[in-house]
Amino acid sequence: MARTKQVNAQNNGSQPSSSKSNGTGVEKARSPSPDASDRPLGPLSVTVPAYEREEVKVNNANLTELKNACDDAVKRFLSRPELFKQQYLHTDIRLALGWLSVFVAAGTAFYGYKVEFEQSKPVVTIGLVLYIILTTLSTLYAYFVEGDTIFVGKRKTFSKRIITERITLSSSSPPLPKNTSCPSYSVSLQYVRSTNGGKTLLGRGRTTGAAEYSRFFDEAGVMDQPGFEKWVGGLVESAMDGKAA
Amino acid sequence: MFADEFKVFKRLGLRHLLLQVLSLVSSLTLALMLWHGLMIATNCESPVVVVLSESMEPAISRGDLLFLSNLASERYKTGDIVVYKIPGADTPIVHRVIERHDVPSTVDIRQYTKFAKVSKGTGRGSSSKLCGPSQLLLTKGDNNPVDDTELYRGLEWLEKGHIVGKVNGFLPYVGYVSIAMNGSSGLKYAVLGGLCLMVLL
Repeated sequence: MARTKQVNAQNNGSQPSSSKSNGTGVEKARSPSPDASDRPLGPLSVTVPAYEREEVKVNNANLTELKNACDDAVKRFLSRPELFKQQYLHTDIRLALGWLSVFVAAGTAFYGYKVEFEQSKPVVTIGLVLYIILTTLSTLYAYFVEGDTIFVGKRKTFSKRIITERITLSSSSPPLPKNTSCPSYSVSLQYVRSTNGGKTLLGRGRTTGAAEYSRFFDEAGVMDQPGFEKWVGGLVESAMDGKAA
Repeated sequence: MFADEFKVFKRLGLRHLLLQVLSLVSSLTLALMLWHGLMIATNCESPVVVVLSESMEPAISRGDLLFLSNLASERYKTGDIVVYKIPGADTPIVHRVIERHDVPSTVDIRQYTKFAKVSKGTGRGSSSKLCGPSQLLLTKGDNNPVDDTELYRGLEWLEKGHIVGKVNGFLPYVGYVSIAMNGSSGLKYAVLGGLCLMVLL
């Protein structure tokens, strides 16, 4: 109970500043700026008790591990009960295609093992072609449709009317620019808020942000989760406010 | 020890587990499918074989890995090194073709292949009628004093149906791994176990 009261107070507290920035937002952005009074909870308003966190420690010389740790932190951060619900469409399609190709391969191999070679050739060829098609589809899907996306979230809130929000985050580790010595984590968000079953667009925002990995990982490779979450939360909230950056 | 793992999996969910298992299994299936692809492409039951005897020295030594092909349109020539399997014999044999006869499809090949046991062979020989004349071959190991007639178990000639494939190339010494693994089962399990560990870690 106490926690919800605190959250509402914070939200009300942030109203005047967001309506102020909304004014400039409208001038900059061509897309409609969301109405401040309608704005649902942003991620910075929902706190996480410290004892619930697990320490994240990675090898900070390995760029893949750093990026994966940041991606996982984003997913954990935005999937909390008060916030977005992760949409698993990309994952499910990749899983379905992958497991189907495994079963096709296993079936083909088993058939080839049981039946004598000359007789088995047509069926094995069909199985092989099917496997190649499925694997190609899965790879193309992951490369083109899914791309850099790490999180797709959806949320329905009710305040005066049912508001549906959809947020998509994609991240990458862009190559080192000449003046810095540390690689950075670049994240870009797309945010849409609508109502009336998706027919009325309330607001849209697009933000990108980049920060060096050394800002969130110390020498031992331990991740500063509150700091990271604050940075991502700020980006999400500015997307929710409709800033097109 | 496993309590930790279960906690992690419960938190991360079923999808995560499925993804992890998929990445493990898909490397296995890729290897399997590549092997079958090679089988279909070379039209050969066993496109890669290991040499066990020294009957083809100095051209091919024991422990060599051979790459075979057996395309339907293949015409074997004198001097080709082929791997053949006599029905009823345990292992395939790799020797060189020293005599070749092309029998046009107008002639019944069965006049030249004496024994009843060979009827399986002629069945396959007649299917290759579509690809032109069938062939009758005689082989001999380079290092053997006599030709292979003794090894044919009553056949006078080899036919295309008996041939597993023609040797297109080889890698020396690599086959010793397979020979060693087949020899002592302990080594086989050690190598398999090592491979599994490498994939997991």
